[in-house]
Amino acid sequence: MSNQQIDLSIEFCGKTFKNPFLLSSSPVSNSAEMVARSFEAGWSGVVFKTLNSDRLPIIHPSPRMNAFHYGAKRVVGVQNVEQISDRPLKDNLIDFLYLKKHYPEHILISSVMGFSDDEWAYLAKASEDNGADILELNFSCPHMCIEGTGHHVGKAFDLIEKFTTTVKNTVSIPVIAKMTPNITDMTEPAIHAKNGGADAISAINTVSGISEVGLEDLVPKPNIFGIGAVSGTSGPAIKPIGLHFIADMAQCEALALPLSGIGGIETWIDALEYLLLGAATIQVTTGIMHYGYRIVEDMIEGLSDFMQQRHITSVTDLVGKALPNLKTTDHFELDRQGITQYDLDKCIGCGQCYIVCTDAAGQALEWDAAERRPKLIENKCLSCMLCSFVCPVHDLITFKEMPEDWKRDETQVMDSSLESEIKLEPFTKEVPNECPY
Amino acid sequence: MSYKDRFKQMKSGFDFGQALAEADRCLLCHDAPCSKGCPADTDPATFIRKFRFRNITGAIRTIKANNILGGACGVLCPTAELCEQECSATGIGQPIAIGKIQRFLIEHGRKMNFKVFEKATPRPEKVAVVGSGPAGLSCAAELAKDGFRVTVFEAREKPGGVLRYGVVSYRFDRDFLAGEMADIKDLGVEFKCSTPIDNQKGAEDLLKDGYQAVFVAPGLWDAVQLKRELGDIQGLYSSVAYLEGLRDGHMDQLAQEVQNKTVAVIGGGSVAMDCVESAAKLGAKDVYLVYRRSYSQMPAEEDERIEALQSGIHFLLLNQPIDYEVDADKRITGLKLVRTALGEEDASGRRSPVNVEGSEWILDADVVIEAIGNKAEDDSPNWYPNVDVNKKNLIQVESETGQTSVPGIFAGGDIVRGPALVVTAVQDGKVAARAIKEYLDK
Repeated sequence: MSNQQIDLSIEFCGKTFKNPFLLSSSPVSNSAEMVARSFEAGWSGVVFKTLNSDRLPIIHPSPRMNAFHYGAKRVVGVQNVEQISDRPLKDNLIDFLYLKKHYPEHILISSVMGFSDDEWAYLAKASEDNGADILELNFSCPHMCIEGTGHHVGKAFDLIEKFTTTVKNTVSIPVIAKMTPNITDMTEPAIHAKNGGADAISAINTVSGISEVGLEDLVPKPNIFGIGAVSGTSGPAIKPIGLHFIADMAQCEALALPLSGIGGIETWIDALEYLLLGAATIQVTTGIMHYGYRIVEDMIEGLSDFMQQRHITSVTDLVGKALPNLKTTDHFELDRQGITQYDLDKCIGCGQCYIVCTDAAGQALEWDAAERRPKLIENKCLSCMLCSFVCPVHDLITFKEMPEDWKRDETQVMDSSLESEIKLEPFTKEVPNECPY
Repeated sequence: MSYKDRFKQMKSGFDFGQALAEADRCLLCHDAPCSKGCPADTDPATFIRKFRFRNITGAIRTIKANNILGGACGVLCPTAELCEQECSATGIGQPIAIGKIQRFLIEHGRKMNFKVFEKATPRPEKVAVVGSGPAGLSCAAELAKDGFRVTVFEAREKPGGVLRYGVVSYRFDRDFLAGEMADIKDLGVEFKCSTPIDNQKGAEDLLKDGYQAVFVAPGLWDAVQLKRELGDIQGLYSSVAYLEGLRDGHMDQLAQEVQNKTVAVIGGGSVAMDCVESAAKLGAKDVYLVYRRSYSQMPAEEDERIEALQSGIHFLLLNQPIDYEVDADKRITGLKLVRTALGEEDASGRRSPVNVEGSEWILDADVVIEAIGNKAEDDSPNWYPNVDVNKKNLIQVESETGQTSVPGIFAGGDIVRGPALVVTAVQDGKVAARAIKEYLDK
């Protein structure tokens, strides 16, 4: 197991989590029986499956999910049409009591979603009264069709503020607002949640998507007896989207709230990336759907060893550590250039580098057919690094910076004699040098 | 499990997920070396790429268009020594299991009922093919694709040649063969079985019967024998007779002969491996593989050797059989062996075995199977009297065309090359078919 000397605990919403790894609100946190096992496996807390007030029956579509495979690699994404908890509220609350009784050190976060102010208040109070340490307001479930619920709220910012205010006025425990990624700028709804009194933001919920269309019946999947629907996509495929929104919010000075990162986390490295971009805790569902609760062991051990190697003693010290290096593209130093370098002693001669360089890059490789080796023409290398992406040998192709006076060759025209036939006037209009949009 | 069950079916191949996972490992090489490693010009790089991009019908088309017996080759080819030997992925681990992917695609095509070929525009010319083994089938299919009217003459009761009568059923079963045959029959190839082309009616007579060209590919069905002058000895089999017996309805008889007995098989090739393993499956008490050289010099594929060892076969290496021990009823009782030592390299580059003087000994055995090679039947030159043959009775041809010394008569497969691979015979059939088309176009 993990290095015992490393303390992975972190403060979040005034509570101490023994590590930053939580279950997110989903089928993996559906009951105390499941959550208890996850705690035994090492997870520090849970955002319980979103409570339902029994006012409306919750009936799950069948089948509930579809997997997004890539070649033989299974489950790079999951598309689900899950609803909120279909259990009676009483059962969920009994499970809360069980978890707090048997796992008092673990953090129980109650996810709630209402259809009106009164319902939000009702569920929030019931949660607090039965042991929830924190609330998470589900403003982002992508499968609620009624205006004023789920992600519809997430896109109606005044409702976010209003419902958050209601909840904050009802309970004294901390409140997290969970955001939908199906917008362009997340800082705006997050600030509305803050204005309503939210203590933290979690993101992202699932990304609206369509994972697959059945070719036999022409029904998008999951195929619910002949009908498909746009619904929530999760898993490794959406990690870049999650990281982007977390970083945006972490850099937003007007927001300045703690963040809980969600989206495509399977390994300690994924989790660490979320931490480095500003999340203080992270939440996982799809990784567990694919591999089970056991993956937390590797998150704990991996993060502990990383911290020990870097002499980092507190997870808090990692939070946001990459943000100073995250800037807009206009900050790049364009006078510094580099190229690829090849360690051909390792080469196995597959030639994929040659294919991609020829068809998608700078035609900077020649192919020695007899030796089955690429030969780099340095002055043509664009440093796009495509070749290194397809190379099956670890670290064979790397990047190196070139001296200041080095110049890349321009891409040649096919037939310079055609220059005499060109029809082109120079562009002479005044244009600002910065993008006006 | 009864011995019959052990012979019933081949091991199943890859399923969709396994095949896709394996194809995913493929590096999709530029100028792919695997595609240069096939004697029949099969193009694994292309069919694996097509499969990887889910162009599954296209992948099947790539295999079949080039090799009508693509399924059989996927199962029977010593791929480790051909395409897979060239695989770049070996540099970072294991080569891609090309043969298994190929087999999967062909079986998948059958499940989907995907037909690669459309009926060609018919041509009036008739072509006769002698022998329905891999060379004959390949030539017949290739010609039928061009619209020729092709008739295959087969001496035995059913078509397939070595694919039916020369391979054990658990390596290559009848259902699989039927699948391969179906594609050929769909092309319109006509089969005349139990119709030998021999001394009575020779290959050259077919030219007079309205066939404008003939492809001769009867294979090699006589056995090389240790001591031919022995005559009939009970309990002594050639691999040809033994394997054919397993496939043509004499399994019970062979089982009776072998069960709870000691069997010795002489030889170190793939056929010897088939013989030892099948003897074990029939219920032999002990099965010895007697080989005069060392383990690493065996021509059989490594997988086959390991499989035989694992199934309990005793490998008796560096032992040269020199005679048989028989009782008064001419029933075999043992095999007389002499130990060998490896001496100088011979023409094949292998150190050759030299008998160790005075080291003769007797291995008790109830049944001995000689698996030391196949050869042309003694009277085979009389089936085509004007066709030039060499002193081993192998037909002499121009290698680029398969053309024999008689205009209109072409030949290929083992009757030309001597014992060779199925995939090589397939290529011979294709080469000859192209030459026949050219010949008839003139």
